Amino acid sequence: MAELYVKPGNKERGWNDPPQFSYGLQTQAGGPKRTSLTKRVAAPQDGSPRVGPPPPSRPPLVGSSLSSTQPTNFPVVESETLLEDVLTPLEQALEDCRGHTKKQVCDDISRRLALLQEQWAGGKLSMPVKKRMALLVQELSSHQWDAADDIHRSLMVDHVTEVSQWMVGVKRLIAEKRILSSEEEANEEKSTATAEQNQTVPGIQQAP
Amino acid sequence: MATYLEFIQQNEERDGVRFSWNVWPSSRLEATRMVVPLACLLTPLKERPDLPPVQYEPVLCSRPTCKAILNPLCQVDYRARLWACNFCFQRNQFPPAYAGISEVNQPAELMPQFSTIEYVVQRGPQCPLIFLYVVDTCLEEDDLQALKESLQMSLSLLPPDSLVGLITFGRMVQVHELSCEGISKSYVFRGTKDLTAKQIQDMLGLTKPTVPVQPVQPAQPHEQPFVSSRFLQPVHKIDMNLTDLLGELQRDPWPVPQGKRPLRSTGVAVSIAVGLLEGTFPNTGARIMLFMGGPPTQGPGMVVGDELKVPIRSWHDIEKDNARFMKKATKHYEMLANRAAANGHCIDIYACALDQTGLLEMKCCTNLTGGYMVMGDSFNTSLFKQTFQRIFSKDFNGHFRMAFGATLEVKTSRELKIAGAIGPCVSLNVKGPCVSENELGVGGTSQWKICGLDPTSTLGIYFEVVSQHNAPIPQGGRGAVQFVTHYQHSSTQRRIRVTTVARNWADAQSQLKHIEAAFDQEAAAVLMARLGVFRAESEEGPDVLRWLDRQLIRLCQKFGQYNKEDPTSFRLSDSFSLYPQFMFHLRRSPFLQVFNNSPDESSCYRHHFARQDLTQSLIMIQPILYSYSFHGPPEPVLLDSSSILPDRILLMDTFFQIVIYLGETIAQWQKAGYQDMPEYENFKHLLQAPLDDAQEILQARFPMPRYINTEHGGSQARFLLSKVNPSQTHNNLYAWGQETGAPILTDDVSLQVFMDHLKKLAVSSAC
Repeated sequence: MAELYVKPGNKERGWNDPPQFSYGLQTQAGGPKRTSLTKRVAAPQDGSPRVGPPPPSRPPLVGSSLSSTQPTNFPVVESETLLEDVLTPLEQALEDCRGHTKKQVCDDISRRLALLQEQWAGGKLSMPVKKRMALLVQELSSHQWDAADDIHRSLMVDHVTEVSQWMVGVKRLIAEKRILSSEEEANEEKSTATAEQNQTVPGIQQAP
Repeated sequence: MATYLEFIQQNEERDGVRFSWNVWPSSRLEATRMVVPLACLLTPLKERPDLPPVQYEPVLCSRPTCKAILNPLCQVDYRARLWACNFCFQRNQFPPAYAGISEVNQPAELMPQFSTIEYVVQRGPQCPLIFLYVVDTCLEEDDLQALKESLQMSLSLLPPDSLVGLITFGRMVQVHELSCEGISKSYVFRGTKDLTAKQIQDMLGLTKPTVPVQPVQPAQPHEQPFVSSRFLQPVHKIDMNLTDLLGELQRDPWPVPQGKRPLRSTGVAVSIAVGLLEGTFPNTGARIMLFMGGPPTQGPGMVVGDELKVPIRSWHDIEKDNARFMKKATKHYEMLANRAAANGHCIDIYACALDQTGLLEMKCCTNLTGGYMVMGDSFNTSLFKQTFQRIFSKDFNGHFRMAFGATLEVKTSRELKIAGAIGPCVSLNVKGPCVSENELGVGGTSQWKICGLDPTSTLGIYFEVVSQHNAPIPQGGRGAVQFVTHYQHSSTQRRIRVTTVARNWADAQSQLKHIEAAFDQEAAAVLMARLGVFRAESEEGPDVLRWLDRQLIRLCQKFGQYNKEDPTSFRLSDSFSLYPQFMFHLRRSPFLQVFNNSPDESSCYRHHFARQDLTQSLIMIQPILYSYSFHGPPEPVLLDSSSILPDRILLMDTFFQIVIYLGETIAQWQKAGYQDMPEYENFKHLLQAPLDDAQEILQARFPMPRYINTEHGGSQARFLLSKVNPSQTHNNLYAWGQETGAPILTDDVSLQVFMDHLKKLAVSSAC
């Protein structure tokens, strides 16, 4: 889901700057290491150095079996991530929250969504950001709050320059939707309970 | 012996403890003759994915001067429902909740495999985590932008319930009031005048108001009054406003004249941060995170003046007593560090600049409180950005690795006393029967406070054997130590980690071989190194080296096998064979050699050395060197110039740097482009192998190391050349009649010469 990549460090600012790992790579649980580089060799007690053979003039050739078939590069056609596909669900989510969340917060989120739209339409956002936003919106629509949150985090870590101004609005939207949805569930449970209770009292108008 | 290596490893995996000696000499006199003190490295919060915490509280010994915790070493009478404390022999009644226990139904804390166990404290308020950012605005535009972005990003990584605050500083210090209303306010302080805690709290309006500032919300936690929340707000409420506030931060507006440094009031900024937290959230876990791009140049705690032509102090200046501001500045930060530590708050320093920033004077802030010290060239580097991200890394349960407000208590059986601890802690001054009068490290106490810690934080704890010579070995034949760590977990739960260990006593005169076989040379090397570095902070450098050499010679005299006056007969058994090598490399290390490092660099290296676990500490003392070739899988090789061969690629890990070095022939082949030809694909794999292994190290290490990819003849090869043992120098190049390895141009003594001298001195009866 999140991208796994390594970029070189900032060579202009630090000539020995280490490479930068994407959020996905950094959060991978430490799996079994291929080579655990922690062994040492004791110095020989009498201290004479080893002598090795002189190196050949070329590297050794690969064995007779040539490397297996080259992977054929199929041209990958990326379907263009549409702005509407991302913005519409977000605006819808905001509308859902309007009754329940403070006006100021909603206005703030709305302002940031406008900023997102402006940057997207103005071509300021890179392809990976657009792709991941589409994924985020999918998760949000399926009520997968943790997954959506994780994607927002990965975008903040990997592409902070592009997203920092408006991403916090999306983050808040996920949080508000999560609260709203859990309240709705709680209300549903309550209302089914009261509905059972109210069955014996006919003729009561349901509030609209 | 293979069995002792396994024993040592199993114990470390289970308990996070490594002792210098695993069979203990039974009298004080004999223990001092062992040269290396009886001591251990303890990692209190060692990651134990297989150890779920128990949801009840520990059972304590009822003797008021003991209060040891029930553990597998205690004798239990199930019928009478009694247990005997193994430290003070008091018989205690089991509490009513333990009515159902029996031999076949033991509580976890009595089972031997739970020598380390963690309890969750059920009662008491759960305080949120607190993060207070203290940000230098005297940065270049790019740097400030990068720092702002990192801080904005961190808001997404912080737990939503944690509290966050912001102080910015340059010539003035601004404390930002965080509110959800439109207008942002801040309180401005002059950077030249220090204020007491009370003055700061008064000026910020933190004393009890006559009128409530905000309506009390119904679900408010019952600890701090709402006044405190003006400057420290929950992330979930304030993230949008704080993101904007950070985005709008400008460089310090005061113009910097030509030839001058910006006026930076770091001393007052930290003082206000400490005072703010003192007044609002004493005795709860908090992190003050100081970000600075240059040295303090104004006010208390200034480290250098604002004239660029007067450089910041070097080691040379310090030796010649020519560092004007050092004493006063150090005192200022020590005072702040002690106050923060007393309140359970830790202070991190993130210093990114091309010149020194005053880490020497400020190191107590991190070292006394358990905060992190990160030194980089610029905030716009991956070294800073990723190191900063890794502070917020999570464990296998999705919780932050960082923990807060720990107190460590050590109990010992009566034949042992506690001499002291060396690590990121302060003394709690708790005297008692276990406390020795002879201090090593931070002594005179059996309890220490570690305000900030994580699963790798490690303390060195030093003991003293107090039994009299020829006293009989205590009944049961074993001595015991219990380590009790109370701390605040990142989930805000309070927890207690208890580790109880025991080792056999042995009479040194009749059983020296047993004691020898159970020597842990790796732990001993790190424990002696910590002692050496501790001394180096207060003593002259050459004195520490002389002390270290003397200890090594004495150790060799005691445990070496040799004929008197015959150096060639000298042999060390397997359990000691690596120890002299460790000492050799330690003497050359940046922890004891300040040559080639600025005072700030030395302080930073020493800071990391004094808190890492054994494996990482050893890497720092004697870097790992692996060799890659066509002849087989990568193999460890001697850290020696003879390992530098033309047809090898070397990977060196010093902890602070990862160096990949291509031998001369390999470099030529790479230049010729063989890796791009399909019939030489294995060369491509060879070039890639060390890069992949380096990546594995880079992916996990904190702090992020520097990454150097170099080759024979490259200027950066000096990182490798300065670390390897110079067995071949320009002086002895033709001694064996043929050229092997690369000669190092140095006058440094080689390991061979060192060992020769050592053997001569050990076998001589004149010492």
